[in-house]
This record gives sequence, structure tokens and C-alpha cells, in this order.
Amino acid sequence: MLIDLVEERLIRLNIEARDWKDAIKQAAQPLVDANKIEPRYIQAIIDNVLKSGPYIVITPHVALPHAHPDLGVIETSIGIATLKEPVVFGNEDNDPVKYLFCLSAKESNQHLEALVELANFLEDKRIYTVLDNAVDAKEVIDFIKK
Amino acid sequence: MYKALVCCRAGMGSSMLLKIKVDQVIKENTMDIKTEHGNLDSLIGFDGDLVVTMDDLKDELAPKVPYAVGIRNIMDKAEIKVKLNQFLDSKK
Repeated sequence: MLIDLVEERLIRLNIEARDWKDAIKQAAQPLVDANKIEPRYIQAIIDNVLKSGPYIVITPHVALPHAHPDLGVIETSIGIATLKEPVVFGNEDNDPVKYLFCLSAKESNQHLEALVELANFLEDKRIYTVLDNAVDAKEVIDFIKK
Repeated sequence: MYKALVCCRAGMGSSMLLKIKVDQVIKENTMDIKTEHGNLDSLIGFDGDLVVTMDDLKDELAPKVPYAVGIRNIMDKAEIKVKLNQFLDSKK
């Protein structure tokens, strides 16, 4: 379940990011602090984008920063971050990015059910309204629980 | 029944979401396609009919596979539907 992977402490609202790298670093830092990923996983995400392009920007204004499980995943989790000012990732179709769903997945099938839920959330525009208006992480968690 | 590989580079996040959406579109429109999921390594020895991937990977994969579909907005079922239909039309 998605709600099992998202925790209040993994959510950061209205962060101020200088650029896309900074946005990824700040979005992923709570996962380091919560012992979900090793610090090197953040660099792995950035290296992926530098090498393969901004394919992690999956739909307008939404990025799904992630890397291979071997590159420092400790536990499967999803962090959520919103940016005060959107930043450009270099993805013509879907820039600029305002919402980041930072994914750490241990193996490819374990998180499938959560991803199905996440996919449904991302399609349902209400999640963005909630993220735009939430005053704290708890509001976001409450919405996902519903 | 056509066989499709849904893949991205790492095969963990984006392509998994893409497969979820592609499967929904196939089901809703009763298309004669079944999907499997993988990463770029899965292309080695792939004997299916098409590959569905992110748009920026499409050009790289197109020469190596029978048919390549590139999706720009992987949450956009309308886009996925149009592009899968183009594939099916090409088989008629």
C-alpha cells in the first residue's frame, strides 16, 4: 500500500531549490535521514539524469527521482516534495517540475502495488491541489489515507 | 496476441508506472496486446512485437526492435491509446 511507504517525515513542502540537482537533493534528504537510502543513492539519481536525460519527469510538473536498487536502497519508500518555485529539468514535454516523488525500491515487484496506487494518485488531479494547499505533511498523509 | 516489452533504463520506477498505465489502456480498449516489463538488458533476446518506452529513449531503441512506441506523458492514457492503435493499424 502506498500509505505504508509514505511517511510524514518523508514529506517536504514548499522547498526552495536553486536548480534540478538541488531539488533532487532536498527531496531525497529525508529518505537519508530516515535510513531508507544511503547518501550515495542521491548522487546515483543525479548521475542517471546526467547520463540518460530527464526521463524521470514522467508527466507535466512531476518528477519521480529514482535509481537502481543496487545503488544504495536500504528500504522501499516514497518521499514527497513540493517546490516553492518550479525548476526546469530539461524535459521539453513536462517541464517545469513542481512535485517530486522520490522512490527507493528494493526490488522490482515489492513496490508494484504501491506504484499502481501512486499512478492513480498522479492521474487524479486532487493530489496536486492537496499538495499546493497543505500547511503540513500530516494533511498530505491524511489525504492519502482516504 | 502481440507481445510488448515496457522498459526504461533502470526498469524500476518510470517504466513500472508506464506498464501500469499501458495495461489499463489495453484492458479498457480490449487490445490484443500483452505486456512484460523490463530494463534495457531485457532487450537482449527479446522476441516480441513492440517496445513501449519513454519518448527520449525511443530513437535509440527504434533501430534495434520491430516497432518502438515512445510516450511523452506516461500518465496520459489518451496518448498511450493513440500510439498503441497506430501500432495495431500498422499490423493490418
